Amino acid sequence: MDQPRTDEDQELVARTQAGDASAFDQLVVKYTPRLYGLIYNMTSNHEDTNDLLQDVFAKAYKAIRGFRGKSSFYTWLHSIGVNMTLNFLKKRGRRFQLSLDDVDASIQNDKEFLEATATSSPVREADLSELQRRLNEAMMKLSDEHRAVVTMFHIQGMPHAEISKILSVSEGTVRSRLFYANRQLQNYLDEFRKNPVA
Amino acid sequence: MDEFEDQEIAKLLRLKRYEQPPPGYFENFLHEFHRRQRDELLRQPVWRICLDRAHDFIFRLNLPTLTSYPVAAAAVLICAAVISLQIYQTPEPARFTRDRPALGGFSAAGSADAEWTLASPVATRVFGTQPLRKSNESAYTHRAATPPRYVLDSVPVSYETTFKF
Amino acid sequence: MRAKLAGVFWVAVTLSFFAGAGLLRAQEQSATTISREVKDVFERAAKAVVKIHAIDPHGELCGTGFFVDPTGTLYTAYSVGGEAENFTIEVKGRKYAARQVLTDIRSGLAMLKVDLATPALPIGKSEELEVATPVVTIGYPLDLPETPNFGMIAGFDRKYLGRYFSTTHLRVNLPAQRGEAGAPLLNLKGEVVGIVVSSLENSSSCYAVPIEAAEKIRSDFVRFGEVRHGWIGANVSEAAAPVEGSRAEITEILDPTPAADSGIKPGDILLQVGKVKVHEPEDVLDASFFLTAGDVVPITVMRGNEKLTLNVQADFHPASKQPPLIASPLSPNRAIPLNLQSAPERTP
Repeated sequence: MDQPRTDEDQELVARTQAGDASAFDQLVVKYTPRLYGLIYNMTSNHEDTNDLLQDVFAKAYKAIRGFRGKSSFYTWLHSIGVNMTLNFLKKRGRRFQLSLDDVDASIQNDKEFLEATATSSPVREADLSELQRRLNEAMMKLSDEHRAVVTMFHIQGMPHAEISKILSVSEGTVRSRLFYANRQLQNYLDEFRKNPVA
Repeated sequence: MDEFEDQEIAKLLRLKRYEQPPPGYFENFLHEFHRRQRDELLRQPVWRICLDRAHDFIFRLNLPTLTSYPVAAAAVLICAAVISLQIYQTPEPARFTRDRPALGGFSAAGSADAEWTLASPVATRVFGTQPLRKSNESAYTHRAATPPRYVLDSVPVSYETTFKF
Repeated sequence: MRAKLAGVFWVAVTLSFFAGAGLLRAQEQSATTISREVKDVFERAAKAVVKIHAIDPHGELCGTGFFVDPTGTLYTAYSVGGEAENFTIEVKGRKYAARQVLTDIRSGLAMLKVDLATPALPIGKSEELEVATPVVTIGYPLDLPETPNFGMIAGFDRKYLGRYFSTTHLRVNLPAQRGEAGAPLLNLKGEVVGIVVSSLENSSSCYAVPIEAAEKIRSDFVRFGEVRHGWIGANVSEAAAPVEGSRAEITEILDPTPAADSGIKPGDILLQVGKVKVHEPEDVLDASFFLTAGDVVPITVMRGNEKLTLNVQADFHPASKQPPLIASPLSPNRAIPLNLQSAPERTP
């Protein structure tokens, strides 16, 4: 995923701080899809994501007067998003919670999807769909913090440096959490392959 | 860039980007955001709305930074003074003192030990680790103490997503 | 002639007057009757309803609860008693320490205990309720004393705002206020038929968990010391056409589960699970909720033209395969998990 342009953010933030609420609206429109992806992949629940996303922007709107531009608005907003989601997940604990979004039709044009289902036999597509399901299960087994780095790096495509700023940890910590999480996910998928019963 | 780049996990994870909310969701999001902002504004206590408006007004005047903070602070103090005067002039709130006869099963006296007074007209939700209020706290210090959170959720705590049994 | 007409006229007026007065009096009496009934319920039940104070990571919280036996067992909502500690209950101005005994997030309920001899509310049956049945709640809104509220059953809902409840909830047309989570919902006989857990967006209605749900978890606790959510392992979807009044078709049997060994097959139309009659896939929510792991439950299905009843022993629900929460002897005011078999990995 491309990193958003931060120069236009500065202007929008300045206008918001000066009292122009429509400037904040533009920031909302700009960042909603991205933040949605982050929160959704951490919670695996559309309804919770919607609530959290509303709360994140509400909090950002209230706090924006105190934003001094030490980090980019993007980092600041994502930091709020990740922290509120982690707090929510701690509170949610083990509640019955999966509520997954449908896969968008545009996946059919994705290069990796096409490669993965190259033979285009129904068996291969079913395998992939089953793998995706197992992957979702595996993601839920990770700790909230590990799921956060996996989401940010692999799904959101954020660089290590950006993740370390958002989480306020060192880049080394980000790398080691990713390594650990990847290994957990891989183990889980391998286990499924050995025992592929539903 | 990373040794995991080509791994299967990374590819599968990237495909999760295609899990998207229903059509129209993002378009509707901003409307919903505005609606919630309006609702919240209606729930805020008067003193808070006053403070926010005063704050906005001061900043919109575009006064030089050095002079705006003292002016804002002064405006806040004036507002607070006016509101305090109004509130302290209202009649004393009701007290919780019961004179019910003692009940079987409880070895309790009829009258209350604690005195309870109503807090601000619109109780606000406060987060923080405050100790339990002491029962002999006087009515005049209630403003300094954080009121407890009175619980009633707006959605149930858990829900099911599938018809499996 | 004129005198006669006048006479008839005045007799008619007088009769109408008395008839009207009689009608008015009947209405007043019926209003008085309802008011008296509500007052009776309140006066009898209020002594068993308590205010609950507790502390959770966000600070102090207050809610409502009520006694259901003479040994101090209390029901409240999970949002009051589920994730907090340092419980005290307050009644008639006196405070008593309480401890958490059982929590069940699925039902949205928690059980506390006070070491006292206490009055108790009789348990009713929410199955007897219908839409427009009058009901009463007694709660502690905000920092006010015990307060009655009168309304009626507005509906029996399976879902709200697109999310399905764990079991059918009672929707009640009375405005529960903050602090009243855990309040008892009473019929006009003064029996508890539900527990208030949440309010609706418009705030003039609220949801209550049926008392049968609370009794289920209490019964599990008495039998096993824990809640045991049961699991059969079958997926249900809407059938193309109803069969014997049911549109709930078994579409998948998960393996390894009790369903796999039970003889139930995909394509079977589900008619009944234990006491719960099934007419549509949504009915499975209640069926599932009332299953107890380890218990044998009769499941009736239609296969073609044949009605079969299969006895299946329910397993533990997969979502509760982590050990349940019970009161720890070490920290009497808090329930802790016994051990975490599938605990999330700690951040290294």
